[in-house]
Parts: sequence; structure tokens; C-alpha cells
Amino acid sequence: MTAALSRLPGWVLRGLILGLLAFAIFGPLVNLGLWAVTEKWYFPAKLPMQYGFAFWERVFSPRGGAMQSLANSLLIAASTVALSLALSIPAGYALARLRLPMRTAIMLLFLLPQAFPNLPVYMNIAAIFYRLELNGTILGVVLVHTVHGLVLSVWIAAAAFAAVDRSLEEAARNIGAGPLRTFATVTLPLAAPGLMASAIFVFLESLDEFTGTYFVGVPDVTTLPLLMFNASMGGNYQVAAITALILLVPSIGFMLFVERFLKAEVLSKMGS
Amino acid sequence: MKAQTTLLAAAALATALATGAPTPGYAETVLNVVTAGDQNMVDYVNDFLAPRFEMANPGVKVRAAGTGPGDGGSQKILEKLEAQQKAGTAAWDTDVAVVHQVGAGKLVEARLLAKYRDQVASGKLVTRSTAENALGTDVGGYVLPMFHSQIALAYNPDLVKNPPKSYAELVEWAKANPRQFGYNGIKGGMSGVGFVMGWVAANSDLGAKLEKGPYDPADKAKIEQALGSLKAFNQTITFTPGNAGTLDMLNRGEIAAGPVWVDMFYTWQADGRLNPSVKLALLAPGLPGQPMYYVVPAKAANAALAAKFIDMATSPEVQAEGIVKRFNWYPGIDAQHVQAKLDPATWNKLFTDVTPEDLASKGKPFPLGPYFKDIMESYERVVAN
Amino acid sequence: MSSPTEATAGTAEASASAVRVFAATAWREHGLAALLLAPALLCVLLFFVYPLGHAVVGAFAIPAAGDAPPGWGLGHFARAFDLYGTDIVFTGVLVSSSVLLTGVLAVVIAGYLTLGETPWAVATLRWLYRWPLFIPFIVAAQMMRSFLAKNGLMNNTLVGLGVLEPIQTIGFLDWRGVVATFVWKQLPFVTLLVAGAMAALDRSTVEAARNLGAGRLRILLEIVLPQVKRTLAVALVLSFVTMMSVLSVPVMINAGSPTLITVDMAYRINAHGDYGVANALGIISYLMTGLVAWIYLKHGIRQHGGDPR
Repeated sequence: MTAALSRLPGWVLRGLILGLLAFAIFGPLVNLGLWAVTEKWYFPAKLPMQYGFAFWERVFSPRGGAMQSLANSLLIAASTVALSLALSIPAGYALARLRLPMRTAIMLLFLLPQAFPNLPVYMNIAAIFYRLELNGTILGVVLVHTVHGLVLSVWIAAAAFAAVDRSLEEAARNIGAGPLRTFATVTLPLAAPGLMASAIFVFLESLDEFTGTYFVGVPDVTTLPLLMFNASMGGNYQVAAITALILLVPSIGFMLFVERFLKAEVLSKMGS
Repeated sequence: MKAQTTLLAAAALATALATGAPTPGYAETVLNVVTAGDQNMVDYVNDFLAPRFEMANPGVKVRAAGTGPGDGGSQKILEKLEAQQKAGTAAWDTDVAVVHQVGAGKLVEARLLAKYRDQVASGKLVTRSTAENALGTDVGGYVLPMFHSQIALAYNPDLVKNPPKSYAELVEWAKANPRQFGYNGIKGGMSGVGFVMGWVAANSDLGAKLEKGPYDPADKAKIEQALGSLKAFNQTITFTPGNAGTLDMLNRGEIAAGPVWVDMFYTWQADGRLNPSVKLALLAPGLPGQPMYYVVPAKAANAALAAKFIDMATSPEVQAEGIVKRFNWYPGIDAQHVQAKLDPATWNKLFTDVTPEDLASKGKPFPLGPYFKDIMESYERVVAN
Repeated sequence: MSSPTEATAGTAEASASAVRVFAATAWREHGLAALLLAPALLCVLLFFVYPLGHAVVGAFAIPAAGDAPPGWGLGHFARAFDLYGTDIVFTGVLVSSSVLLTGVLAVVIAGYLTLGETPWAVATLRWLYRWPLFIPFIVAAQMMRSFLAKNGLMNNTLVGLGVLEPIQTIGFLDWRGVVATFVWKQLPFVTLLVAGAMAALDRSTVEAARNLGAGRLRILLEIVLPQVKRTLAVALVLSFVTMMSVLSVPVMINAGSPTLITVDMAYRINAHGDYGVANALGIISYLMTGLVAWIYLKHGIRQHGGDPR
């Protein structure tokens, strides 16, 4: 068998392996797409027996809950990004520009939420939030999402600010601009691409976040992932597939968009 | 960067408005209905009860939320109300809750419910013991049954020529046809839990004692012995991911038989999600069934409106049209009131495979609270470990 | 000659003023930094470290029962092992295997991206491998649920192509499905980091080895891999943590027992409100993660330290 394989021209072998990889990656996606346009599909049919958009109507009906979930998800994600940026821009600047005695310790502290399995933390946050009456509120969910995404946004912000050429800032100061003005007109715009990347990451992480919302949001706050989970566990694969597609649109859209920002420099500065 | 932040802010604002943040000047009462159980429970409130109630009561909006299947869903409701009680909130955020028996018992014991049954007209239409007693806890006056449901064995007659009639026959069949029987363990939903309860009753001499008591902690040994054989049985079956999972796998030909809720079964068939040829049967000595209860939290914000909602939901017309006809449950109030409102064909549809006699002899309640707890824990220790 | 008390007072005065000067300088230099960092730090402290402490306390605190007063003890841990011992071992083995498999595949893909010599293959691979990165775990779980089922799309395709007979199809909706989903989802992340590290390497050593006639696999294993071991170790540890945090995948794919302890934790909380055992399981998961992190990082850093760079 291997002898036969080695006699094949190289491009066939490469094509085969790439083809297998493509099947492994896109097969499940195609499956999702099929379920999204299915109306009837049961054994022993290999492909859907009846195609249609009946379930799209059901999902988007006023009482369907999908519109509310979508709105919740977007609102929470946008608020998470806003809060994240508000917290990480100053923190990233401090870490990149100012001298700190405990810089490593502080960086490690921000790493904590990603270093520990966060399920036990979410369980306990829910218990704490119950007492503070924050459980089941949008604010509670936003706080949970923000903390989870903070390490990513702080580290990327620090890397972005570190990549800004100091000489440009000094030049601005030399011609008389105050520190705040320098920051707003010189540093921030130069770091903007990196900050945009972090904003997008945080947005996507919040949109797709499930575990924290499961503990803190249920039953009052429904986000798209929760809706998808309920539909899937309820055996309603069509609704689950449709909701999944809705979730994928921003994700894949931003993936194509962020290819520009995933530069090696930014990535290699992460962790320094 | 400025443009981008403005854009983000605008988007956030737009979504906030789109979610229907309360606009001042338009007074609307919101009735919050929280229900445990599968998605079909939320669908029932959203698609059937809410439109009817809103039409009869203009200015009222019904908001339904689900907390998840199984006792976990009821536990979530308990935690919510407990938290508000501890925090001393004046008006709680839930007006009507739908819970399982275990949950109802815990809620009554924690004094979190209001006694509303006497103020509701349909309160007199229920005489079954399930309205007074929830697995050993006295809940009279606090609850009204929404429906009664039953677990039964669903099987594909093309693959299962001679359906097993008892637990013992099932074990033999599963050995001969490995991986063809599926159930959802005890974490995925109550149909699996019910199957395990029935197993204990079938494989020990505890039977009636489990239902009626008195509770004896020493019986734990007998329970663990009965569950010992379940561990071996589990090697010959497939686990399914939930109540709906069993139906789904039946549908996709991945299993040939499994315990399901009768109402979910009929609903799925009506929806085109289950092959119409699949049938039901009850295993001897019996499989459990349970009611779910309407309850009103003690400090509900709209207690009077909540009672009105429940009155409507338990009226014979709504029970006939909604519970029996649309959602295929057995009625919560006494059967004769509901049967009078339906044509014989629709009524008999409920009893196609499982006759009233079957129900009477093999339809059991769940075990008493303490036994229930013992069986669940023993399962985790003996079977799952 | 000043008395001892005066001397002590003098020293105290001196040290007090020294502290004041230090504080003033420190404030001038670090005050701004502290101010900028405070909100973010506060967030992490309040909404992560505090609940974490809660979890640790909750795992060891035994509430009052009967006549016994509340106290501390290992009771919750005992119950956790009693009920979920198999699951704990299962979790350790499954997540470790998933991480190792991810690591191996990531090195292969990243290696090909760095050392590959067929432009179209490298470009296609580069475009292909990133797709699962932006698909959330819960969507991946849903897709895999119907893809990997006994009569799911994967098996149907294989049957349709004539590779398998219908009777031979097996469902993967158990631990294999969980491993498959984890690897599917984490592979792009690890590959991205490793490929980035490989791309930043000095090509001269690679060129030198090529000139000497070394095969590409050998170059990968003996020259490239040792230099990226640290990044690989970090990526694998992060993957381990991620997999230990995911709830949706095991719930949706692995229906039976044994299952991951994440499912057990959620079950304890949701069905029983049993924070004691749930927190004990949480501490156990932290210990597992800590152990793995220590092993990987020690291995990775030791190698890095021994590198003659």
C-alpha cells in the first residue's frame, strides 16, 4: 500500500491529504447548512426529505425568542467590548509605557482568568450575584464576559501600544502637545489596528460565550448560544442549525476581516 | 478610531431600543411565567396560553422563560425565589411558575408559595391525590396540576418484532440486541430517571413501599442491590443525550427502543419529527408518570393576575384544547370534565397504544422524596462510578 | 550624648521621613500607572479572584449538620471521589490525550507551512486550517452531534462513496466524539501560535541543514521543534485549560457515563444546589490543570533554557 502510495505523483498525495482535511473541516459545516434548510429528515434518508424555510419562519416569529436572543447577544457583546476597551486601554498603556515594579506579577494576574478552568468560578459568581441581585441581568452577564476577555484585550492592548514608535510621541511632546493630547492624537490612532483586533476578539468571545451565561443569565437573559443549546437538547435540530448559522455570520465575517490584523508582530509581542 | 467608537455606541443604542426597552407613557403589565421542563413547556405557554390570555386581558403581556429539563429546572426556580426571599425583595420577579413534584415539595417546605387554589374556580375540578400530595409532602392549596404525563417504552415495530413486556424481558432483549435500547441516564431528563425508578421497583421487593412509605433509610442497601444489575445492563445499551435525544435517536434509527414521555412522543409524531410507525408500550411492573404543577410565589408582583392566568389554564376548555388536543398530555384536572369538551376521536387518540387499563395498572407515581433522593445518589455511586 | 530614647526617636523620625520620601517618589513615578491599572485589576480581583476564593472556601467548608457545628474538612472531596471517581480519571485521560493529539497535528501542519516547498499546497493549507478557529464550541458541538452520529452525514457520505457498509457504521457520540470536537476546535489555535513562532525563527539553521542534505522531517524534529517548544508548551497548556472549561461539548455529545467532571459540576449545582461537592470537583480540576501546566512548562522551559541561543 505504501509502495503504491509512493509511486503516486506528489500532487495527488498532497491533494488527497488536503481533501481529507477539507472534508474534516467543512463536512460538519455543510451538515449544519443542510439542517438549516430542512423541513423533514428522518432515517433512513441520507439527505433531507423535504427542504424548506418553514423553520426560519418559526425561529423569527415574534414569539420565537430568536429576535430577543439576537438583540440580547448583540447588546451584551457591544457592552462587553465597550467595558473591555475602557478597562484595557489605560491598563495596556500603563503596562507598555510606564515603569512598574511588579510588571510580571500584574501580567500574570491578568492571565488568571484564562489560566484556570472557569466553570467553578462561574458557579460561584452566580451564587454571589444572586445575593447582589445581579443574577439574570444583562449587567451581570456583561461583567462575566468582560473579565473573561480581559486578559486577551489587556495583552493585545499592551502589545499594540508597545509597537507604537516612541520617537513619534516624543516629537509631539517636543512641539508642545500635552500628554493627554499626545495620547489622543498620536498614540491612540497608531495603536488603533491592534486595539480593533482586540475589540473584535472580545466581541466574538462574548457573542459565542455559553458557560458563563448558562450560570448567570438563565432564565431571564437568553443569548443566541443558550437558545441554540436549548433547541439542540430539545431535539430541534433545524432551529439549532439556523441559530448556529446566525452565530457564524459575524464570526466568519470577522475572520475574513481580521486576517489583515493577525500580523506576526502583534502575535509575537503577546506574552512579552 | 473616533468614528469606530461612535459606530459601536450607536449600534449598542440601537439594539437597546430594539429590544423594546420600556417606553415611558405606555403602561403595560407583564406577567412573568417561568417553567421548568423541556422546550415544549415554553412553547405551550408562548404559542397557546399567552395569546389567549393577552386577548382576554388587554394591556397584559405574558413573558415566558424556561429553566431547563428535569428537576434541575425546578431547582433553578427554587434558587431564584430563595435568593429573593433572603434579599428581602418586596415584589418577586416571577408570577407563575411551573415545577416538578420534587421542586413543589421543596418550595412549600421553604414557605415560598402562596395558597391560591381556593381562590380559583377550577380548584374544585381536581380531586386526584396528586393535587394534595407531592411525593410525600403535603402541598394542598398551593398547587394545581397542569397535566399528568406518563413514561412509556417507545419502539420501532419494524426492528422490534416482539416488544418486551416487562423489565426482565427487556434485559434479555437488550442482551440479544446490544446498543439497540437507549435511555438518557439520570442527568439528561426525567424519562431516564423514571426508567431507573421503575427498575428499582422491578428488581427489589420495595414496590409499593417506594410510593406510599414509610421511608426506611435501611432500604438503601436493597436499592443498591437492585441497581447492581443496572450497571451490567448499561453495558448493553446506548446512552442518549436527553428526553428529546431518545426520540431523536429512535427517529434516526440509532436505537430501536427507549423510554419516552408519552406527550413528547405524540407531539413529535404530529410535528413530522418522528416516524409515524413508532409505537408505545408500558413495561411491567410499571413506569412512573408525574404531574407538573402551577404555583404562585408568595410575593409575586402580580399575584391576582397570576391566579387568573392559572384559572384560565386549568379550565376545562383550555385543558381540552391545549393540554389534550394540541400537546397530547393527560389532563391535569379530573378527566371527566375534560372528556366532555372533546370529541371521542381526539380523546381516544391519547389511549391508542397505552389503554386506560394499562395506565391504571402500570402507570405509577414517582417514589417518595427521600426514596427518590436515595435512588438518585445510589445510581451515581453504584452505577455511574 | 543623646539618650537611647532620643536615638530611637531620631531613627524613627529618619525612617518615617524616608518612607514619606519614598512614598512621594513612588506616587509620582507609579501613581499614574496604579491609577490606570486600578479599574482593570479591580475587575479581575472582584469578579475572578474573589469567586475563586469562594470556590476554595466552599470546597473545604462543611456546613452544620445535625448536632455537628460548621467546620472545615475533606468531606466534600470524599463524596466527590465516591460519586465521581471514574469521571475524574476519565477527564484527566481524555483531555490529556486531546491536547497531545492537538499538539502533534499542530506541529505537523505548522511544520509543513514552514518547510513546505509546494506553494499551492502551502497556500491552501494556510487558508484551510484556520476555519474552525472562529467557530464557537457550542456550534462545533451541534455540528458534530449530527455529523458523527451513527447515521450522521459522515457515515452517510462514507456509505455513499462505498467505503463502508451500512451495517458497519458506528456512532462516534461518546468519548471519541468529544476528543474529535476538542481537537477540531483547538487545532487552529495551537497551529497559529506554533506557526507564528516557527515563522519568527532564524532560517539560517534550516538552510544550513538543508544544504547538508537533511530530510525535512528530520529538520522539523531536530532543529525547528526544539526552538518552538516553549510556545508549543504554552499553547498546549492554554488548550488544556480551555477544554477543562467547556460545558457544551460533553453535554451535547457524550450522553452517558463516564463523562467529564465539568458536566458533573453543572449537574451538582443545577439539580441539587450542592456547592460543596461541585466546588470540590472544581478544586480537583484546578489541581489537574496545575499539574499538567507544571509538567508542560517545566519541559518546555528546560528545553528552551538548554538552547544555545
